[in-house]
Amino acid sequence: MSHSDFPPLQGEPAPAAGMNRRSFLRTSAVLTTGLAALASSLRPLLELEDYTSVEQFMQKYYKELTPAEMAKVLKRIENEVEKQYGIRPQVRDLRPMDGVEFVYALNLTRCIGCRKCVHACVQENNQSRNPEIQYIRVLRMPHGSFDLDQSEHNYAPATVPEKGYFYMPVQCQQCRNPPCVKVCPVHATWQETDGITVIDYNWCIGCRYCEAACPYWARHFNFTKPSIPKERLNPEMSYLGNQPRHQGVMEKCHFCIQRTRAGRYPACLEVCPAGARKFGNILDPNSEVSYILRTKRVFIQLKEELGTSPRFFYYFDV
Amino acid sequence: MDEHSPAEDPGPPRKTNLVLGTLLVGFVALAAAFALNLWGRQAPLDAIPLVDPALLDTATNRRSYADLVRAKEDLSDFDCYTCHEKNKAPTLRYDEHQNLLIPTEHSDIVMGHGEHGRNNNCFNCHNETNLKLLQTRDGRALQFDDSPQLCGSCHGPTYDDWEAGAHGRISGFWNRRLGAIKRQDCVNCHNPHAPAFQGRQPAPGPHPLHGPMVKPTAESGH
Repeated sequence: MSHSDFPPLQGEPAPAAGMNRRSFLRTSAVLTTGLAALASSLRPLLELEDYTSVEQFMQKYYKELTPAEMAKVLKRIENEVEKQYGIRPQVRDLRPMDGVEFVYALNLTRCIGCRKCVHACVQENNQSRNPEIQYIRVLRMPHGSFDLDQSEHNYAPATVPEKGYFYMPVQCQQCRNPPCVKVCPVHATWQETDGITVIDYNWCIGCRYCEAACPYWARHFNFTKPSIPKERLNPEMSYLGNQPRHQGVMEKCHFCIQRTRAGRYPACLEVCPAGARKFGNILDPNSEVSYILRTKRVFIQLKEELGTSPRFFYYFDV
Repeated sequence: MDEHSPAEDPGPPRKTNLVLGTLLVGFVALAAAFALNLWGRQAPLDAIPLVDPALLDTATNRRSYADLVRAKEDLSDFDCYTCHEKNKAPTLRYDEHQNLLIPTEHSDIVMGHGEHGRNNNCFNCHNETNLKLLQTRDGRALQFDDSPQLCGSCHGPTYDDWEAGAHGRISGFWNRRLGAIKRQDCVNCHNPHAPAFQGRQPAPGPHPLHGPMVKPTAESGH
């Protein structure tokens, strides 16, 4: 077979077909400049690399992860946190205990409105400091009223408590019938057997439907990349709890899942100087919360009429 | 091949040139805009000061006698008989309105137990024959580290709540199989001589993204 048996290749330049020196130079100049401009206009995409790794992007849904895969995921998060903050955290995936259903009880007679719980929570759960994300809001209302519309968040007197007012901290009520879970289009949030409604931060698409559905303003959205100073990072983390979040996902109170599923009290409870916060297992008849619900004037489940059936109870002493 | 001579070729049509030129200008403009950061990344937010670490402290505001014993600290304040005489009850002095006069040696004590002003006698709670003991109204003598029982001898329902964990500060483990609960005594939070809570400065309120929401308050409303 000789070479001449083949027809000329399609891609071979036909030297005479419409290409002279001038048009070649013009075309290549346009192409080069155009490509350079395209590359430079796409540059903002490079910045995304900061917060999405391939493993993270390809990670499976929390409920589908095998224990081996979960171990890998926890390792990856530990590595990422260490890279970003220079502190090696311990990230765990604690599961609900059998025979445990958590309930919170808050004594409105005792709360003095000092907001220490708000900041202990931020510290424990690695929330963004700037912009601020806080799971607890303390409402001030005049004695003898219960008008949430007239409540004040931004009170700043020299000392609390003030005469004629009472204070009501509001956080996620861990509803038995949670509207936020119903509206999530991707099942990124669900209720666990111990009553805590959790979020798979990796599965959340940031549509904020749950924020709109929640009647307690308990869900918060990370509009920007959360900023946590290194010296304030809490290295004891859990996957569904206080691992650092990413931009564009929801977060909310999870009853300090990293503490309570290890048997400890939540951070907001331990810091309360008035002892107004009580927490425990409602299925245990000897727990503090069982005693309170049995003997105290348990006044409300907040917005009871909505049928959300909160696991967060407010009560009075007298 | 040879049928199309270079002379016949009209070059790229004018329309293509126009489109390419527009695209080129567009991309160059975009590149310049990004390079100069014209519409900018997000402006940095105003700095929010970090909260004072003192507000994160879980310590109680007072330390009980039992705490001092546990920490092996100086207990000389509780050594009554370096000044007082043994087996002789100290005499109490009152002004013309029957208010107790606090001796200068105990000037750090401010009496304010109860709003009625009648519970102002030292020996309502202290044992007058042995100052190192406490004394309930029903005649039981108690050590200083048993003080909750003394409080409970008058404040019965509150004592029941405290025993059940429903009154007062707790910390540690809700699950007793995994760890111990730490329950604070009455005097860890209340000053026995003036038990009402003192006012304190509140921690800073929220800093919303777009400045504080201004709402009519009870005073400024209307």
